[in-house]
Amino acid sequence: MELQKKLDHIFKQIEKPGRYIGGEVNSIKKNIENIETRMAFAFPDLYEIGMSYLGMQILYNTVNKRENLYCERVFAPAPDMESLMKKEGVPLFTLETKTPLKDMDMVGFTLQYEMSFTTVLNMLDLAHIPLLSKERGEEFPIIAAGGPCAFNPEPLADFMDMFLIGDGEELLPEVLELYAQCKKENLSKREFLERACKLEGVYVPSFYDFEYNNNGTIKSLCKLNENAPEYVLRNIIPETESLDFPVKPVIPMVEAVHDRAVVETFRGCTRGCRFCQAGMIYRPVRERSKDKIIELAKAQIEATGNDELSLLSLSTSDYSDFHDLTLELMDYCKSNNVSLSLPSLRIDKFAFEVLNKIQEYKKSGLTYAPEAGTQRLRDVINKGVTEEDIYTSVEQAIELGWRHIKLYFMIGLPTETEEDLDGIAQIAKNIIDINKKYNGPKGGRFRLTVSVSNFVPKADTPFQWERQNTPEEFEAKHRYLEQRLKIKGVTFNYHDSYTSVCEAVFARGDRRTGKALLKAHQLGCRLDGWSEHFYPEKWKEAFKSSGILPEFYAYRERQEDEILPWEHIRCGVSKKFLMSEKHKAYKGATTSDCRYGCVGCGINRRVDCKLEGIYG
Amino acid sequence: MAERYVVRFSKNGYAKYTSHLDLLRFFKRAFRKSGIQLRYSQGFNPHPKLGFAQPLSLGYSSCCELLEFETDKKYETEEIYELLKNEMPDGLDLQWCKGIDGEIKFLAASCESAEYSVTIPYVLSESDLKKCIDGYLAQEEITAMKRQKKDKKMVAVDIKRMIRKLEGKASEHGIKLSMLLDCGSFSNCSPELVIASFCSFAQIDIPRYEMEVERREINFYNNLQF
Repeated sequence: MELQKKLDHIFKQIEKPGRYIGGEVNSIKKNIENIETRMAFAFPDLYEIGMSYLGMQILYNTVNKRENLYCERVFAPAPDMESLMKKEGVPLFTLETKTPLKDMDMVGFTLQYEMSFTTVLNMLDLAHIPLLSKERGEEFPIIAAGGPCAFNPEPLADFMDMFLIGDGEELLPEVLELYAQCKKENLSKREFLERACKLEGVYVPSFYDFEYNNNGTIKSLCKLNENAPEYVLRNIIPETESLDFPVKPVIPMVEAVHDRAVVETFRGCTRGCRFCQAGMIYRPVRERSKDKIIELAKAQIEATGNDELSLLSLSTSDYSDFHDLTLELMDYCKSNNVSLSLPSLRIDKFAFEVLNKIQEYKKSGLTYAPEAGTQRLRDVINKGVTEEDIYTSVEQAIELGWRHIKLYFMIGLPTETEEDLDGIAQIAKNIIDINKKYNGPKGGRFRLTVSVSNFVPKADTPFQWERQNTPEEFEAKHRYLEQRLKIKGVTFNYHDSYTSVCEAVFARGDRRTGKALLKAHQLGCRLDGWSEHFYPEKWKEAFKSSGILPEFYAYRERQEDEILPWEHIRCGVSKKFLMSEKHKAYKGATTSDCRYGCVGCGINRRVDCKLEGIYG
Repeated sequence: MAERYVVRFSKNGYAKYTSHLDLLRFFKRAFRKSGIQLRYSQGFNPHPKLGFAQPLSLGYSSCCELLEFETDKKYETEEIYELLKNEMPDGLDLQWCKGIDGEIKFLAASCESAEYSVTIPYVLSESDLKKCIDGYLAQEEITAMKRQKKDKKMVAVDIKRMIRKLEGKASEHGIKLSMLLDCGSFSNCSPELVIASFCSFAQIDIPRYEMEVERREINFYNNLQF
């Protein structure tokens, strides 16, 4: 039976078939005959999630601008689609041309969160592509991966032919061009990889292996191929001003999580929160000019008909010309009936003026992220927020009519004590009291949401050596907080603790942890980021039967002289800096934003920091 | 004074898997992109005035979908047609744009009946098919099982008087039913009810997903025509 007919049968039996049909406005159709390299960009989660991800739109646009290259898209099917695909024998296909992934030259996964790793394996499986790199012959595509989780690539090393580390706008097309060249020269996959690994940012895991000590730690990294570099430098694009940015993004037909125009204002962050991986691996800050941002915003609104515009960066208000940018965008949006949304805004006086205007009628909630309950612990993690800042701002918000405030905290941070948990409850209590001052002793319709997540130590951060709390410790803390936060008007949320364990194992796992992934996949794990599809029991079994112990990978503190599994992947921030930050953390000493002066993280040895010391 | 227009478009190929709400979102966006300024409702949460004459079930194709909308400013229908035509994705094709007399009720409130064509890959002879259809229609009551909106329970309903016409054609590929059914807010009969009850009556044992349904025409009260 032909594919279209099979798909017709399947689509009539599943929910939201629009996820799988492609053909959206601004999606790209190309004549396959003129294409030298075909790539499928794979997002290991559902369509609605993946289509909200700007990185995919950027790379889709960048690759497809080249006539000889074709980038198509594929997302993880939902379980109903998955089971019918298996039943009908339909292999996973691209949205644009419905081509099976195994007929592509390359399949590139983006790794945004650890809990998508089993979905990566499941997608390969659904594509009828062998999971292990060494089991794939010349007839199968090159399987690649990039994104923030590629900074510790080892858990997926056995499954990937190559990783692309760092900025992808230049590296990805370069790799695809190189592939086209190698195809013309009739070279083997291995020969292609040998050439590719010379490009800045390319890591070919099969060219390396690890030796281990008796205690399970890494003894050494051995190079197996003489062409491979000693270590892999992250690909860094020095400035973003002239970079291509998609003004005609693909518009999802099925409503995506975020259905809006987005402009990236800058990449990187200078604040230096010690738990934050993004704050380290995307350095230095590279801004687009105000005029460029506005030009891109207008072009995108015109080309998409979106009625919402959002700015993207790690910290919206840190944009150096934020004041003028916001005022100009507000003008433009107002006269064009576009609503402006400014995520991760630092709530100061100016932010209030802005929010008060853009949320005139609909005051959505305000969110603060103190991250820790006491000043001591906030200094440890270098989160430069004081309680005073929060209370002043909350008071103003309540006065101006906001009725819903949300607070984000992390538990299980290094050096945390009961006092720090009490601090969380105290902050909540104080905010409720502030509200009573304005809305009477009963508090009116005011809601405070306290959201607590579990600290997961990440690679390339000052806390990369830290131990994670066990699920039992987390759960005890959840119970403790639950008691303390029995306050009228307060809603308390927390994350599942076993999910955090899995995250921690793979966030800092070595190559051996791939066995646990494989086992979990065989037990049916996928879409683990969705609580309804997450099965802790299967994961426990996967860890047990593969001999991968969370005790070793998650709950264990690393020695400072231990060789870490990601040391050969160099993000540009030095290990020396990370370690000194760790030591400062234990002393409760803060490190200032490097806009006040260089703090010596090491990235300026690779590339210019344009914002270094601008605050003088 | 508001200006009222209606556009007709077809929905084919994979586009038939676009849901009613997604399609509505698509059109809102297409209007914004095309620069045609829709009239907005008043109030705290203004939304553009546009709507389909009748929702189309997910998975149905159609050659006759109607979208009605209002603008503040007067446009030439040709202009609207040209502007909007460029915004249509694969599978959606704009056929025409016409003005609507301000006196006429909303199209959604004026629907009377709709015609559907159902393709079933089940081979029957012309005469057997005719016998089945005649027998089906001759029943005193035509009972179909319908899920109630309120409690989601299945209840039996008699759809006999909602079937205005049912004809069939047989070929070596299968049969094609053509049905004219009540459609609209006054009386509404989903083709699914006819398909299920007819197949059960005629003992046609074909999974629903192998059948194709196309809407062929929407008819309005007072012989309103476009």
